[in-house]
Parts: sequence; C-alpha cells; structure tokens
Amino acid sequence: MSVPLSQMLTVTSYVLKQRLRGRRRYPLVLMLEPLYRCNLACAGCGKIQYPAHILKKNLSVEACLAAVEECGAPMVSIPGGEPLMYPDIGRLVKELVARRKYVYLCTNAILLKEKLQAGVFTPSKYLSFSVHLDGLREEHDETVCREGVYDQAVEGIREALRRGFRVTTNSTLFDGTSAIRMQMFFDEMMDIGVEGMMLSPGYSYAKAPDQEHFLRRQKTHELFSKMLENPKKRWKFNQSPLFLQFLMGKWDFECTPWGMPAYNIFGWQRPCYLLQEGYAASFKDLMENTAWESYGHKSGNEKCKDCMVHCGYEATAVDFTFASFKGLKAAAQATLTGKL
Amino acid sequence: MTVEPEASLEGWTPEVMDAASLAEVIERAFDYRGDVTIVRRDGSEVVGYLFNRDAAVARPFVQVFEQQGGPPLTLPYADIRTIRFTGRDTATGNSYAAWLRSREAAKAARSAPDV
Repeated sequence: MSVPLSQMLTVTSYVLKQRLRGRRRYPLVLMLEPLYRCNLACAGCGKIQYPAHILKKNLSVEACLAAVEECGAPMVSIPGGEPLMYPDIGRLVKELVARRKYVYLCTNAILLKEKLQAGVFTPSKYLSFSVHLDGLREEHDETVCREGVYDQAVEGIREALRRGFRVTTNSTLFDGTSAIRMQMFFDEMMDIGVEGMMLSPGYSYAKAPDQEHFLRRQKTHELFSKMLENPKKRWKFNQSPLFLQFLMGKWDFECTPWGMPAYNIFGWQRPCYLLQEGYAASFKDLMENTAWESYGHKSGNEKCKDCMVHCGYEATAVDFTFASFKGLKAAAQATLTGKL
Repeated sequence: MTVEPEASLEGWTPEVMDAASLAEVIERAFDYRGDVTIVRRDGSEVVGYLFNRDAAVARPFVQVFEQQGGPPLTLPYADIRTIRFTGRDTATGNSYAAWLRSREAAKAARSAPDV
C-alpha cells in the first residue's frame, strides 16, 4: 500500500479518537463538490445532468471551509464536476492545506498541465491529484466518451510529478472490464511513477446515460479476484487493503454511508455521495436526522443492493481495521506483504 | 394521474386534485433533472430547479434555485397549487449509445479506402 506514513498516522489517530469517544458514526473523508460543471460527459456519470443555471453555480470558498470545519474529517476529497474548472480552486486547496487536511483533488486532468504551469498549486504532502483514469487509452477514452483524454491526463500526471506533486489515480470499473488489461494499466501507472492507485466498481446512477454496464456483486468479486489475486509487488494502491479484499469477496462488510459525507451547492446530501434523497442544512442535521437503517446492502433497499462503491465501504474497511485484532492483523499483513 | 415510469416528464402539466397527489407531484419534481414551474395558490409562478423537499416536518416545504439566480427559495407545500415540468429534462436521451454510434461511424470513415 502506498499511503504516506504521516497520512496513515493522522488517520489512525483520528479513528482511534473517535472510537475512544464512543462515537458510533463519524466521517472519514468529506466529499466536497464545489461545482457540478464538467468538461466531460462520461457515460457512467450521473452527477452533471442539471439545467445550465445550476451548472454555473459555485460554492464559495468560505462555504467550503465552513463545511470542512463542521464535518471535521481529516481528509477532503474534491470531486465534482471538474474541480479544476472551479475559479477559486487554488485558494480553496491552499486553505485546506493550511488546515492540515489531506486533500484528494479528483480531476480528469484535462486542465492539469495548464493550471500547474499557471502556478495555481504548490506541492505539499497534504495535496494529491487523484487523476481519473478508467484503464488504458482505449478503455478510458471509451468511458469518458471522448478520444484523446487519456493522453491529456497522462501528460498532466507527468507534469505534476515533474513539479514534485503527489499523484494518484482513481479508476471506476464497469461490466466488461478486462482483468488483464487492468493489470497492464497498473504496470503503466507504476512506470509513469504515480504514488498509488484507487479502484472502485461503478454505481448505477439512475440518471447516468449508460445503464447496461454496471457491475453486480458477483461479477465485482470475480473481476477484482482475477485482477488482484497475485498482485505484483510494484503495484501500489492508495486505499485500504481490506476494502480491496472486500471487493474480492474476502470480507462481508456493511455500508457506512456517513463515512464519506457529501457537501455541495444543494447542502449536505442525504444519505450519501451517490444517492440523492434530500439535503440537510447542516452536518449535524445530516448525522442526526437521516434514517441510516434504511440504507446499505442488508437494509433491503433496492438502490443499495448491488453497491460496493468506495464511498460506502472504504470507511467500513478502515473502521474494521481498528475495531478488532482480526482487522488490524489482516490490514498489517496486506500492507507489509503486498498480498491481498 | 398516470405516467409511464421510464418516460420523461418533460412537458407534463399534472392536475393536482388533493394533498396526496400534490405530494406525489413534488416527489417527481424533486427527481426531475430539469427546471419546473411552481404555480402558487395565489396564481403567481416560480420557475427554477426544485432541488429539495421535506414532507416529514411539521410544515412541509420545497427548496428551489430560481432560473434567474439568487439564493434558494423555500416554499411551503400549502402554498403550492401545482407544478408544471416546463424545463428540458437533462437526464433523458442516450448519449452513450449516441457516442458509440458516432465513434463507429468515425472508425468506418477512417478505414474506408481513399477514392
């Protein structure tokens, strides 16, 4: 695994503090969406289908920072929309870094080189560009519905690495993904020099244009087992090894939808980053007045039945690591040996 | 009030008969990815994107970002006569299939022999 030691220690001490305080539900990563605008229209994305006046809206930096303070999570992921289209992205990141938040700026990297050359960002151990790449050139360009994007993203990654930034990748996998092609992708990313990779199966957004290619649970187990059964030592993953083992079918976790709460132009999204069942005016309201028992695989909720996405299950995996000796041992073993 | 579940609601002008059907129309408007026109009981109209609603509170309400801009507007259910689905449904269509078709067409054009 490739999470830097300082980040690992921050997360460990945060989780232990929550457990010592007896806090049953706590956030691990804030999903902060300052805008819904994007320069792509990917087939599997249900995030950007809004009227133009909504797509033009931005959260203010002050509103973002207030949400970060209110939530208190040690990590902030900035997806969207495309965060590099957010006019105040440089200032927002600077403020978050000053607050010692570990920031994952999730970008398609089309604008990355341009922003780096313009001096919008400064390298920091707290900042990682998490570049969206769903596989090798052919697969990625197909999922983002535009040719040439893979090459642009790789160019952005190389520029960021050359300037001393942390770079990770995030890949969403759909039905039909080839395990062998993904293994080739892992090799390619390691050759380029990214710090680590993040993987997740896609979620079948009701509003996404392509409804045919979302992975169901059994297929997810099969794909991830095939891909990761004998991982090469050089492959680095920037996520909980227990989450990857869960995707391989080795653990039976339940969703923790509060683990990665989402804040955007509409407010605090209920109940999670993927489902939009309403909005709370405050983080407290979200945590206290959401019918959490109605969500997750075991709840019987049809919308949650096949979901195995990181925003619901990675926080479960991290919590499990610190909740039992079994979890700690399994995570330590995977981290030290690289075996999943 | 019958609607094909998979059909777009674009252009729909429901006739609201009672509180129950108003609640259902509001649910549909909440799920709709386009602007709507909210007709108040006093006859005035609000055009915008209905992004939130809460029927579980003492005074149920909807929240709307008006098309003309500004902060969100909160309207009680009790003030709403009906909602018309007047804006374009941005979630309809099949852009993935359309993209695949255009990609295949481009590939075919590239592999066609020069004349």
